[in-house]
Amino acid sequence: MHGSLDDLKIELDLLAPGAERIVGKNPPLDIIARDVIFGEGPVWDARGKQLFFTDIIGDTIWRWRPTGGLKAVLKPSVKANGMCLDLENRLVVAGWGGRTVFRFEKDGSRKTLADRWEGKKLNSPNDIVVKSDGSIWFTDPPGGLLNVGMVGGDLQRYLDNQPVFRVAADGKKMTIATDDFVYPNGLCFSPDEKLLYVNCSRERVIRVYDVKPDGSLGKGRLFYQYISLERGVPDGMKCDVEGNVYCTGPGGIFVHDPAGRVLARIKTPGHHPTNFAWGDDDWHSLYITMIGSVIRTRLNVAGVPSR
Amino acid sequence: MTWEFDLVAGPHKGRTGGLAWDGNAMLYSAVQEERILRYDPAAGKADVFRKYTGRTNGIAVARDGSVFGAQEGGRRIVHFLNDGSTAPTHELLNGKHHNQPVDVMVDGKRRVWFADPYNGTPPYGPPVYPFLDHASVLRLEPAGARRWKMKRVTHDTRGPRSILLSADEKMLYVADGDAERGDVCQLLAYPVKRDGSVGPGKSLLVFAPAERGIEGMCFDGDGNIVACAGWKKSGIGPSLYVVSASGTVLETHPAPADLPMRCAFGDAGRESLYLTAGDGGLYRATNTGRGGLKR
Repeated sequence: MHGSLDDLKIELDLLAPGAERIVGKNPPLDIIARDVIFGEGPVWDARGKQLFFTDIIGDTIWRWRPTGGLKAVLKPSVKANGMCLDLENRLVVAGWGGRTVFRFEKDGSRKTLADRWEGKKLNSPNDIVVKSDGSIWFTDPPGGLLNVGMVGGDLQRYLDNQPVFRVAADGKKMTIATDDFVYPNGLCFSPDEKLLYVNCSRERVIRVYDVKPDGSLGKGRLFYQYISLERGVPDGMKCDVEGNVYCTGPGGIFVHDPAGRVLARIKTPGHHPTNFAWGDDDWHSLYITMIGSVIRTRLNVAGVPSR
Repeated sequence: MTWEFDLVAGPHKGRTGGLAWDGNAMLYSAVQEERILRYDPAAGKADVFRKYTGRTNGIAVARDGSVFGAQEGGRRIVHFLNDGSTAPTHELLNGKHHNQPVDVMVDGKRRVWFADPYNGTPPYGPPVYPFLDHASVLRLEPAGARRWKMKRVTHDTRGPRSILLSADEKMLYVADGDAERGDVCQLLAYPVKRDGSVGPGKSLLVFAPAERGIEGMCFDGDGNIVACAGWKKSGIGPSLYVVSASGTVLETHPAPADLPMRCAFGDAGRESLYLTAGDGGLYRATNTGRGGLKR
């Protein structure tokens, strides 16, 4: 099922001039966690100097510290998926199998932030991001109602669409940010938050939207489509500080410039990357969740801090 | 006498599949549309029974009116509850995910039997789990509220497509083999022991190589098996058979469409034979001269 981790090494496809300046030449590889069935949801907590990630099929939210190793934060997690930190550094979780978005409070309790749209249960929140105004944006495809090994207690789908939702900072108003996607998955803002990128695992595309001052979106534009013989679809997606867009795709993590052109591909042979997050004090480390493991490498350009 | 089939609903996109009479209407799966529909013979039309079924094929009505579904796309048996929600069951056989179930039935002990072959259409989600190294009849057994355990029933099947338990639940009939995968197809009968395991399977019918074997079957009121099989590309073409419990073919009839998928008796007195097929239709014959077994 999984290739041997000990054979694993990161290789680079440098596909455009200047790529080496961004991704380097010989990226290192550290193994963060081995016994992971389906890693996802990585987010670096700079204050706690720790990484949070999920194992969807292993049904656990994990915390990893460079000094203290791994500790389960929540198990069972009802197949928790993407995660991010809000303005108060609280962990906000896309509850894939449980069909909610929830937040860890300071006292360790969990508060549901979204679970229904127009009275009907959500599909299965997949990935999530908090904007600097405190609004929460998440994708809601139906995979958590179907995928083998990834479902919760009620598998019935009730919504007839698969939106990207936006929950206002006060938590009261929820709106559909866009409904353009067959299977919306990863999402991220550009460093200045004037653009929102959303990808679709089914159509294998990234679309980009202008974010208006009132939080609504302009019309989506095609950014890139992944077509390949190799396995892998767009899933996790984040930007570096220069506005380059990184997205998991066939055979590894693709690095795009802001115009959509591919600069490089960070290959993770033997394993299938699902998502990634920048971390460590300088935000130059890239933590990559995969099927089977969580690994870390280093890049030359820093990522957008997770908070 | 020719069995005269009328198209009563559809055609739907892709093949229609599982059939189950709920007492008043015929439930049937439009597999690729990911819907279960309900054909009401009194109204003469079909309405949606359930949407977003995850490519559920075989269906079975439980005593409380809830419906079990063989969800090909999700590699699981799902339980469509009466409140509109859908409960998972147990997805693991000895810790491993099973294949892609196509047919399901419920016995008098609330055990859920299902046929678990390989399938041409890949399942949903990232390909994390390999398929089992066998394709068998499996069974879920109740183990408390919403809890199940899974057992393997057959140990000599290649790809079971359809299953049927005799009225006394002492004999299990299995249509084995998928001609689309190159299998030689046969109809097998297994004695069911008191502990639920089965004795050696006896082959009742063997189809010729390249003939498409039985994809669906039901009992008539005399305990004969009514089975649908065949395709246009080889053999005598899409057909229906009446087979005695001991394996003698009593009657052969042409099917109204290619790739007949399932057949089941319904209507008042269970006197009509319904059929699903590769063209996405729901067909009905009212002149078979046979009625369904009342359980």
